[in-house]
Amino acid sequence: MKKYLGNKLMIGIFIMPVCAFIAVLILYPLFILVKNSFTTWDGLNPAVFTGIANYKRIFKDPLFYKSLKNGVIYAIIQTCYQIPLATLLAFAVKSVTNGEKKFFRIAYYIPAVLSVTVVCQLWVRIYDADYGLINKLFEILGLSYQQNWLGGKDTAIRAVAMVGTWQFTGYQFILLFSAANSVPSDYFEAALLDGCTKFKAHLRITLPLMQEAYRYCLIIAFTGGLNAFATMNIMTGGGPGTSTYTLTYLMYRSAFSVNNYGYGCTASVMLVLQSFIFSLIVNRVIAREQIIY
Amino acid sequence: MRTKSKFTVGSVAFRVFLYFYAVVNLYPIVWMLFYSFKDNAEMFVTNPFGFPKVFHWENYVKAWKTFNIPVYFMNSVKVTVITILITVTITTMFAYAVARMRFRGQETLRLVTLIGMFLPLQCIMIPLAVLVRDLHISNTLWAVIIPYVAFNIPFPVMVIYGYLRSLPYELEESACIDGATIWQCFIRVIVPNIKSAIATVVIFLFMGVWNEYNLALILLTRNNLKTLPLGIVFFQGEHTNDFGAMGATMVIASIPTIIIYIIFSNQVEKAMTVSGAVKG
Repeated sequence: MKKYLGNKLMIGIFIMPVCAFIAVLILYPLFILVKNSFTTWDGLNPAVFTGIANYKRIFKDPLFYKSLKNGVIYAIIQTCYQIPLATLLAFAVKSVTNGEKKFFRIAYYIPAVLSVTVVCQLWVRIYDADYGLINKLFEILGLSYQQNWLGGKDTAIRAVAMVGTWQFTGYQFILLFSAANSVPSDYFEAALLDGCTKFKAHLRITLPLMQEAYRYCLIIAFTGGLNAFATMNIMTGGGPGTSTYTLTYLMYRSAFSVNNYGYGCTASVMLVLQSFIFSLIVNRVIAREQIIY
Repeated sequence: MRTKSKFTVGSVAFRVFLYFYAVVNLYPIVWMLFYSFKDNAEMFVTNPFGFPKVFHWENYVKAWKTFNIPVYFMNSVKVTVITILITVTITTMFAYAVARMRFRGQETLRLVTLIGMFLPLQCIMIPLAVLVRDLHISNTLWAVIIPYVAFNIPFPVMVIYGYLRSLPYELEESACIDGATIWQCFIRVIVPNIKSAIATVVIFLFMGVWNEYNLALILLTRNNLKTLPLGIVFFQGEHTNDFGAMGATMVIASIPTIIIYIIFSNQVEKAMTVSGAVKG
């Protein structure tokens, strides 16, 4: 048996393909990325080592700070909208009949299965200044909130962030819903017997037991916002002006529009650091101990 | 337990809220379906919100014929099918080796494959674009298939590994006694036992790959190689006036994932929660 499962040749055959893919397409590009973040490179000719010049430049670049700020705005909108709403939906859906449960789960999740391009094109139509749904709705209601949502320097980033938020709230809902269902109901029922109200019992018992799910939701909502790219690329192209740039978009523009691959790599390194630091903080603060029921 | 009457003010309020949010979620999609059948006049002026009065099927005919949809659609099908086939095959083999065979460093090796989950993958877009160019595969669909396979390794490895660990070792023992080689044992005994894990993985991969945009954007530059998500953006620039046909292309691109999701919604949700449980 030992010889059977220790067959060196077969082990080699079984693990080789995955190892090759990881090495060539993830680890090697990662190495190139870090190496070339210290160079001036146009992507075609050999890179010229320039030390920390790119890093000096990025910390002086106003566009870098603007991109960071937009990433944070996007992340905050996404987090503050998705997590409370998904929590509310998850607990509300818990109490309806089974047939309705099925309907709501599908209804809430469907935007997440659409392509980001479809969703963005759709919202470009909905936001449209003259014919869009939102402005038409305000017109019918007699409110004078009509504006050019994607064209305004201040509204654009918020409008773009709302699209990503709308699309993936259902995803957070599914995560929290299944987490809420996997918490054993014993504690909750015991609290009810002791005269606790339903609301308070959920607040004090069910929610704290779901902290691991919340940690994950927080990480994806926030880093998803920090790293946002597709939504602005499709809907605004970073504009108006540079008002919807994020760090990924900055990286994309530096490399593929102005052929400054070295600087793009530096932006990428900052991107990794930013997500890494945030995850580290969240892991330090929330759900430090694993809960086993 | 106290029994409460079913219709309290609170439960009615919750219901109203749930249906309201369902409308917020579904109406934009239904609206897209409506306007894919309308002409510009009806869409903008006479009937912007409601059910189309006249069905302009020609929007779909036009989308299919003049917008290059069949090409993009087939590209998406090819990319998705090939990516799923390769990924499932190599990750099942890999997961089998690290879960059940015995060699030094297997745990480390498994953890290395999970790197992709913790890295924001758009960070290696630049080196990847250069690599794909240097490998001379830019003129084929392999330009996206190969990176897709690499980026989709972590999740299947994780799920299949979990299933394999729960199988009894008697499976291999009896196969060994019967004189089967390890390869025969893997194909005939192990794979049939992890069908449900593989099904979850296939659906997860389908959803991700069919809709992928970021990498396709930088790696597929030739028009006749574009996948549907890219093709749709391309129309936005080319045919800005024909909104009905634009809507039709968007509906066509969305139908496969929506149908698959509605049929396999439990599987999809399972895949999502499994990935959530481990990634956190």
